Amino acid sequence: MTPVAELASIVAPVFICAAIGFVWARRGLPFDNAVITSLVYNVGGPCLILATFAKVELSPGALAEIAAATLAAYAGFAAVGVAVLRAARLRLASYLPAVIFPLTGSMGLPVCLFAFGDEGLAFALVFFAFGAIGTFTVGATIAAGTVSFGRIARSPVFYAVFLAIGLEIARIDLPRWAFNTADLLGGIVIPAQLVALGLALSRLRVTSLGRSVSLAALRLAAGALIGWAVAEAFALGPVASAVVILQSAMPVAVSSYLFAQMYNREPEEVAGMVLVSTLLSFATLPLLLAVLLP
Amino acid sequence: MLTEILSVVAPLFICAGIGFVWGRLDKPFDAEMMTGLALHLGVPCLVFSTLTRLEISPVAFGKMAGAYTLALVLFMILAAVLTRLLKLEPRAFIPALTFRNSGNLGLPVCLFAFGEAGLAYGIGCFVIASLAGLTVGRGIYAGSTASEALFRNPIVYAIAISVVFMVAGIKPPAWIANTVDIVSGMAIPLMVVSLGVAISRIRVVGIGRAAALSALELAVGFGVGVALADLFGLTGVARGVLILQCAMPVAVHNYVFAQFYRRSPETVAGMVVVSTLFACFSLPAVLWFVLP
Repeated sequence: MTPVAELASIVAPVFICAAIGFVWARRGLPFDNAVITSLVYNVGGPCLILATFAKVELSPGALAEIAAATLAAYAGFAAVGVAVLRAARLRLASYLPAVIFPLTGSMGLPVCLFAFGDEGLAFALVFFAFGAIGTFTVGATIAAGTVSFGRIARSPVFYAVFLAIGLEIARIDLPRWAFNTADLLGGIVIPAQLVALGLALSRLRVTSLGRSVSLAALRLAAGALIGWAVAEAFALGPVASAVVILQSAMPVAVSSYLFAQMYNREPEEVAGMVLVSTLLSFATLPLLLAVLLP
Repeated sequence: MLTEILSVVAPLFICAGIGFVWGRLDKPFDAEMMTGLALHLGVPCLVFSTLTRLEISPVAFGKMAGAYTLALVLFMILAAVLTRLLKLEPRAFIPALTFRNSGNLGLPVCLFAFGEAGLAYGIGCFVIASLAGLTVGRGIYAGSTASEALFRNPIVYAIAISVVFMVAGIKPPAWIANTVDIVSGMAIPLMVVSLGVAISRIRVVGIGRAAALSALELAVGFGVGVALADLFGLTGVARGVLILQCAMPVAVHNYVFAQFYRRSPETVAGMVVVSTLFACFSLPAVLWFVLP
């Protein structure tokens, strides 16, 4: 494959699927976001985690490393975010969750899968799982001002990560019937999330762009730099470090907009950040992949 | 052998079970959206990605499609005779006894039992069933033929495009193949979950007649499948898939059409539910028969 064809094979599916969601919404076709989100987070997500970890052989050391690197990356996003937003005198409650949490699910998972196969997907899922747990705890806390540990305890993604890592460390294989079931249900996650992403983008109401552009650029550029620094600091293997950098450099997560809307933390500005960073990523993602692909 | 049968049927029972519980709990489930996502987006992509990655020759694929076409013709003749004998409403029971669940249930069973090659053969049957169901099946329920439904169905276009690729012997570029591949991942799980929801929402009255007709449908399907597999000299995966696809329960779309055109909807609903429940027992038996 030529380098261009290889890049296209990784990013085109993401853009095309999101475009399908965009067109779907614009044509007014029915799409119940609550059902899809519930299917993805309660059924599909946990299944994808179990099935993917069952497919790859990862050493406990590699797992511990990627988990630690992921936490370090999120800590880095938060530190840089707080510093920049303080300096710019912007409200943390409005902007910090959007700066911290990247779009590790709908965009990060397929990119890592197509770029680095099932091993890439397994590492990307660790990053995604921490992000999902963090969004609903730290992210919601920053936006709402209250913490909800009940949400973590009720989150099936949380249990699936520990079960998957436990099975991997104990070297226990899932029985065939359980693997087939998890593999089947996990297949919903990526396409449903991508279509939902396109749909969400089509419904964002963006009024002003000014601040959104610089904050979107911060998410993408600082994200990539922090990801690279963390990958170097932990001396990660080639696939793991590429995944950490890619996941760190993803655009602003759509969930940040949902929280901003729910708690009325300048939702238009956050919507602008989501939209602008996603559009910018159409350019930055191929560049990053060109550097990271072997 | 038992673990192998379990690995085929357990995923289906669990996924359909999730749909069933979802439906019973009255959780929101926009059937129109799910049909749109699964049948208009997922399934066309599944057809294209399986056929262009085909692990079987176009000739073998054509043979399977031919055998299944003959199976549908036989089902229809037998159903016509039966409805005449029992004085049943022919416009309801001929299609209900002919069209089997070769998609929602047939495709995952073929995939799990025989892998990618099984899925490809299973799609051969499904393609014929979709085309015939949309034209002949719907025509019988409606009492008139309307072919425009055919041209509004994306599956038809997916088949046409795939056939071009198959005949020309070209592979789609990686960016198309990857895109189609992720979208196709939705098709089977959404179809099976939707099947569970549909079963939970269909109200069944008067189960006796539905049970008798369902048992007949499954038994005749198995018999015809075995006979045709021998007639066409099919072996291995192809034989297994033909027998499985012939022995599937009554297709859900029969209920949709029967209700829409008011052709004994209660009994047809009963047949869909009861034959699917019977399949929980008959499918493991058929798998035991066809698995190597």
